[in-house]
Amino acid sequence: MTSLPLMYGAAAAWALTALAVVAGGASRPWIRACCAMSGLGGAAALAGGVSSLLSGDSRVVTAGGSVVVGSLQLQATSLAGVFVALLGLVAVATAAFVPRYHEPSRATGLYLAVYNLALLASLAVLAAGGVVTFLVAWETMALLCYLLILRRPRRDDVAGGAFWFLALSETGFVLIVAAFVILAAKTHSMQLDVIAARAHLVPGAWRDTAFLLALTGFGFKAGLVPLHVWLPAAHPVAPADGSAFLSGLIVKLGVYGIALFAFRLLPEGPAWRGILTMAAGAATAAIGILYALNERDIKRFLAYSTIENIGIIVTAFGAAMTFLAYGQRLLWAFLLLAGLYHVANHGSYKTLLFLEAGVVEHATGTRDMDRLGGLAHRMPRASVITFAGTLGIAALPPFNGFVSEWLIFQGLFQGFRTGSHLVAILIVLAAATLGLTGGLAIYAFVRGYGIPFLGMPRTRQAADASEAGQPVAGPALLAVACAALAVGAPVVLTALARAMRTVTGVALRPVLLPGNLTVIPAHTNFSGFSPTYLTVFLLAVLAVPALIYLAGRPRAGSVIVPVWDGGLVAFKPRMQYSAMTFSAPTRVTFDALYRPEVSVRRASDDPAGRSGPVHYESQASPVFDRYLYRPVICAVEWLADFVRPLQSGDVNLYLFYVFAAVIVAYLLGAL
Amino acid sequence: MPLWFLRGLRRGVVTTRYPARADGSATALPTPPAFRPDALTRELADRLAAVCPSRALARNASVLIFDVGACTACGRCREQAPGAVTASGEFELAATDRAHLVKRIPLLGDETARRSGPTAGQAPAGSQRGQA
Amino acid sequence: MTGETSRGGSVQETAGIQETADELRRSVASQFGRSLHIRTLDTGSCAACEQEIRLLAAPHYDLHRLGFFFTPAPRHADLLMVTGPMIRAFDIAARKTYEAMPGPKLVVATGACALGGVYPSDAFTHGGIGETLPVDVWIPGCPPSPLALLQGLLVAVDRLAGKVRDLSFMRDSLMPDGGHQ
Repeated sequence: MTSLPLMYGAAAAWALTALAVVAGGASRPWIRACCAMSGLGGAAALAGGVSSLLSGDSRVVTAGGSVVVGSLQLQATSLAGVFVALLGLVAVATAAFVPRYHEPSRATGLYLAVYNLALLASLAVLAAGGVVTFLVAWETMALLCYLLILRRPRRDDVAGGAFWFLALSETGFVLIVAAFVILAAKTHSMQLDVIAARAHLVPGAWRDTAFLLALTGFGFKAGLVPLHVWLPAAHPVAPADGSAFLSGLIVKLGVYGIALFAFRLLPEGPAWRGILTMAAGAATAAIGILYALNERDIKRFLAYSTIENIGIIVTAFGAAMTFLAYGQRLLWAFLLLAGLYHVANHGSYKTLLFLEAGVVEHATGTRDMDRLGGLAHRMPRASVITFAGTLGIAALPPFNGFVSEWLIFQGLFQGFRTGSHLVAILIVLAAATLGLTGGLAIYAFVRGYGIPFLGMPRTRQAADASEAGQPVAGPALLAVACAALAVGAPVVLTALARAMRTVTGVALRPVLLPGNLTVIPAHTNFSGFSPTYLTVFLLAVLAVPALIYLAGRPRAGSVIVPVWDGGLVAFKPRMQYSAMTFSAPTRVTFDALYRPEVSVRRASDDPAGRSGPVHYESQASPVFDRYLYRPVICAVEWLADFVRPLQSGDVNLYLFYVFAAVIVAYLLGAL
Repeated sequence: MPLWFLRGLRRGVVTTRYPARADGSATALPTPPAFRPDALTRELADRLAAVCPSRALARNASVLIFDVGACTACGRCREQAPGAVTASGEFELAATDRAHLVKRIPLLGDETARRSGPTAGQAPAGSQRGQA
Repeated sequence: MTGETSRGGSVQETAGIQETADELRRSVASQFGRSLHIRTLDTGSCAACEQEIRLLAAPHYDLHRLGFFFTPAPRHADLLMVTGPMIRAFDIAARKTYEAMPGPKLVVATGACALGGVYPSDAFTHGGIGETLPVDVWIPGCPPSPLALLQGLLVAVDRLAGKVRDLSFMRDSLMPDGGHQ
């Protein structure tokens, strides 16, 4: 039962840091000290999250409160355990990152205060035991993140990106409030575990409405397509640790919200809820990675990759709900576990990648992949750490991404156990979509790592890059975490299985890990896989030829000759692949999705283009912008124009409103 | 069944057995020239050297230097002096030393070209008597 | 034989070294004679030689039955078959191709252009590959027929002996075919 005290400790540390950094001035040692305290808070949160995974739901702590506003209700739940642990990990990593990344100034001090308060608000969301606490913490977190994105308000696109974040966050918030209000009203309680206990009393139609509102509302935050447009707008313009926080944690809060409604508050329900969620997740994953392949900006690319991974997680959740609707409780718990594992994995490597993107941006001054190249020589530490994150996110065995994706796939492949042909086919379609996504993800990350880090520098900025003075400890810690999540898969699975016992009531551990080292996906006659043995095997397969080579190579030494480049006089950097040409095959294949708008301008009418440059521009059509958001914005503006006469500014009209309101109230009171 | 399959069965194996057996497919192709030393005067040699587009022929004192390697078998020298120059019929000309491809053909010197033995056809065009 | 040579070693030692070198050459040639990978290099030719080289892989001449193969990668090649007069713009590429080939390696100059004919040495071309690459076998012809190419390749790997050294390119006064020119 130590989870809540640890979370209190974390919260106190972060609140103190926020105060201290504002009050104590903006010197480098002071900022370093404050970040150390923030890191301690993160460590406490990490410990608290892990402990709440293992020890089950704590009691609800109620503090203060009033009849009008409600009271502060806190509870450390197993479901939130993974998210709290991830919050702690992200906090520690960014605490190590920030002192070397931001230059010490008053603005940095304010930024750090806002950041620590955002950490606190996120912790409050995860530890909320009551509706009001949840909503207040959620809104606070959103506003603080808005301020985080606005670190450099005068730069291009920062205001736009922050505005999109806030606008969509608020839209989602409205829907979340509606969902919570429905449940609270129908169960006559504001406390989450009471709502969970009484949920079966709520009529089915209200339950489904609440779920749909929650899916959409939290979908705005999580980044489900088509509610995702704030991600590529906000991530590039936020500072590196801000983007890392957004992608590593904040979108996971949206996922937590979906999981809260799907698995804790409203677990029982018709199968179509699960199928809808699964379809939304699969579409998000595919569309996310396809748009990622079209991006030159490293951070936009990573933002779309986040959308893809959220899609994978939500697909797992949706399939879990479908399995429960057909009575497959083992698979229900198993897929929830797999989804949570992927949350932990993605949080680790995406945070790492965003922090390193910040390092690259600082070292070279650009985020454009096509202006980089050869950074592996200039920035060896950064490239090694980024490579560790890339291996994880590309889901290559035996790294951590592979373990969680394997679990999700194995769960999806058992769709036939539902007994319904249609549902089994739908689940297999989702698995096929995830398969496409996985392949495209490898393609995307070969591009995302290879173009900036390998090859030759394409510009002077890349050739002069230096990683002196760049932060290393934060990303390195995350790389270690990724390795721990991979190598320690049995341990992680044991902890998550313990959490599943609390959340779902299903004892998953004996089925999942019968032999301590081999993972069985819920049913024994299906498949099995051992991360440990696979790691050992892969190391052996690589080590044996290496040893043979080392032992048997010619004593006289070898001659080092230039690489055969086809006999070119000089290999120029412009002859390499660029990021956009590397992903050209996707643009050709998925032309119907991108609908590129191409404009070609020639300096003269010479068809052979001999005189003057030719300007070629190609852009994927902003389909969501054009067909969803613009119409909604236009409708809202039309509505606003329509009601403007009501706010004419004429005092007499306002007095009339007051008079009419009094008359109406009197009539209502009298009747 | 395509006709070419049946045609192929009828025709049999077409692959040459070279070098185990001689192959006559190259005999009709142009080959470098062979010279009759007793028909070559210095003047003829100079004319032949001038007409060769590939610089394969040159005269050095009373020797015609013939570079087989530079020869393209165009036949201009043979056209110029059909009696003195004929096709050699040799096509297996690979050499491990460049010098092996440079042949020295002795010229007639100051003597008049003699007709010895039965020779049909007219005298080689442009052959002069007693000219150097 | 005994005596001093210009390098200071005895003639006998030199003969001994020469024997070892010959033996090595024979052993290399015997390896290549069973399996040889050829990389063609066009240093500015008119492509007639290339057409004849291509015919080598056709069913009539079929160089695969002799154990010879074409490869595009110089790193996998044993023999470099060079056509064209070595235009100066190609110097670096030719040098790089040659140096990318691992030893032991052979160079075969193919066609009159590569042997020094047709194009004189001027500002644009060397007029032959002799001064740029170390040539082992020279194959004259314009273009050399596939049989001539086969003979050249077999000479390069010591499966055939060269004939041209003993050819005189001279006829006696008697016309061989009885008189017609």
